[in-house]
Amino acid sequence: MSITKQGAMKSRKRKERVSNIISVIIIALVAAAVLFPIWWIVRTSLMSNAEIYKYPPAFFPSRWLLSNYRETLVIFKFWKYFFNTMMIIAPAVIGGTLTATICGYAFARLRFRGKKFLFTLCVGSMLLPTMVTLIPLYIMWTRIMGFQDSYLPLILPYLTGGGAFNIFLIRQFIMTVPRELDEAATIDGAGRLRILTQIIVPAIKPAMIVVGLFIFITLWNDLLQQMIYINSAEKFTIALGLTNFRGQLKQDWALTMCATCLSFAPGVIFYLIGQKYFVEGIVMTGLKN
Amino acid sequence: MSTSTRKSRTRHSRSYASEERTAYLCLIPAIIGLTFITYLPLLAVFVLSLFSWSGLGSMKFTGMSNYIKLFTTDPYMLDSIRATIYFAVIAVIGSMIYSLCIALLLNRKIPARTFWRAVYYVPYVLPATAIYVGWSWLYESNFGLFNYLLTKVGLSRVMFIADSRYVVPSLALIAVWLSGNLIVIFLAGLQNVPRVYHEAAEIDGANGWQRFRNVTLPCMTPIIFYNLLMSLITNMQIVTPALALTNGGPGNSSRFISYLMYDQAFINNKLGYASAVSFVFFILIAVFTGILFATSKGWIFYEGGDER
Repeated sequence: MSITKQGAMKSRKRKERVSNIISVIIIALVAAAVLFPIWWIVRTSLMSNAEIYKYPPAFFPSRWLLSNYRETLVIFKFWKYFFNTMMIIAPAVIGGTLTATICGYAFARLRFRGKKFLFTLCVGSMLLPTMVTLIPLYIMWTRIMGFQDSYLPLILPYLTGGGAFNIFLIRQFIMTVPRELDEAATIDGAGRLRILTQIIVPAIKPAMIVVGLFIFITLWNDLLQQMIYINSAEKFTIALGLTNFRGQLKQDWALTMCATCLSFAPGVIFYLIGQKYFVEGIVMTGLKN
Repeated sequence: MSTSTRKSRTRHSRSYASEERTAYLCLIPAIIGLTFITYLPLLAVFVLSLFSWSGLGSMKFTGMSNYIKLFTTDPYMLDSIRATIYFAVIAVIGSMIYSLCIALLLNRKIPARTFWRAVYYVPYVLPATAIYVGWSWLYESNFGLFNYLLTKVGLSRVMFIADSRYVVPSLALIAVWLSGNLIVIFLAGLQNVPRVYHEAAEIDGANGWQRFRNVTLPCMTPIIFYNLLMSLITNMQIVTPALALTNGGPGNSSRFISYLMYDQAFINNKLGYASAVSFVFFILIAVFTGILFATSKGWIFYEGGDER
């Protein structure tokens, strides 16, 4: 009996090992397929136009034409676009994270009348698609507030708690910080501001970084709002600059791919630096809700 | 802090009043945001939809006529709704299946799991506009990568985003490719499935499929629901490829509702009419999420009231 059981265990172990090897092979093949489009874009950016149109296409450029990038940068003012994009992203990320933290703190820790009502409004607004309110907001920013060709309509909404989702996320995290820590600090004579800055903030730092990254990604992916609020080429962001560049050079695929790769670069670099937070952060949001 | 103020804090009523004051102070940004960025604009979009307004000059009250026009004479509206739903359905189903499968594979005992997870996540950190411009080259009708691969396996060329039959599925494929964040969330959920359940099922002699069907899947339903909801709301609002690449074409095949709204509001300067489009869009998304919530009670499994 025990011998057959052992045999069964062994054969199952072997089966498991085989299926794990198959898993790795599939994972690697699909991963290669996922990365392949990116490689194809990069290799195109390094080729001459003659080589791009050759059949069958080459997987590696015969000569790495870095001069394509020099040519691209003449029209595609990457550094300026990058700087402009950061002019929007940096204040939005910092302001959004701070306000989300303060609002999340109030929802998690403080007692006040109307809390339930406000919180319901907050959670309800998470399901409201941003696209729906685009036109009234456009009228508000450009007609009532008079922000023409300005970054403010893109930044200011983030100073109101960075969106309901982010407030909610911070609240969920503060709830996991033991209340005893607050109470101990209160007994030691700390005020609410000190509790927030010296106990809560250090404890929820990962969540704050995640909120910052979310705001970053949202603005990073935006094209529509930048299109309607920004008019002058002086103020173009990466997304606007790239759309414009493509419109001008529709047929020059090598240069268009150079501009595309340049636009990819900051995201990839930020990702490599903050990879841990990117991935862990997404994980947290999925589990905390 | 002095002893006298410390004493006053411990007294209930005064400390409650100060607590409440602090709370309202903290919530000023949220209250402003909810009022002026969320709920008033939602009301305003409905009010605006009852007017005819070019953005300049006076507004003319026209009642429901914008809505009547939208559903009777508008050449784009129905095509737009169709394109949006078509795209959202393929993109959501495709990315859910893809990411759940990859997450299940990544959840096995495989080497360098974090490395692979990071690889699958890469597309998600690239800016959307650049992604669509880059893929437009892969989809190019004559020299693009995909047409090379098609001819290589003996199929005929396809125009992809330049063909009204293929443009929506082609864009949906990009959306699937971008769903690295769903993989990461699924994977985290899988790692939270209690091991004891698996072990118990194994002792009862359940095979791999039975364990997946009766243990993993029920435990994953809350996360599946969350991913489904988020992916639905995101994909219904698709607009960037239409702005950056297709301009709603060819024909009306990629004239998604968001793009129609943009076009009417900011190209044709019909702000009232575009608001009606927005409001219809709002109702449409509300209906879809409503259906999702209504059916969720039937299939979401909450593990013994365990609160997260």
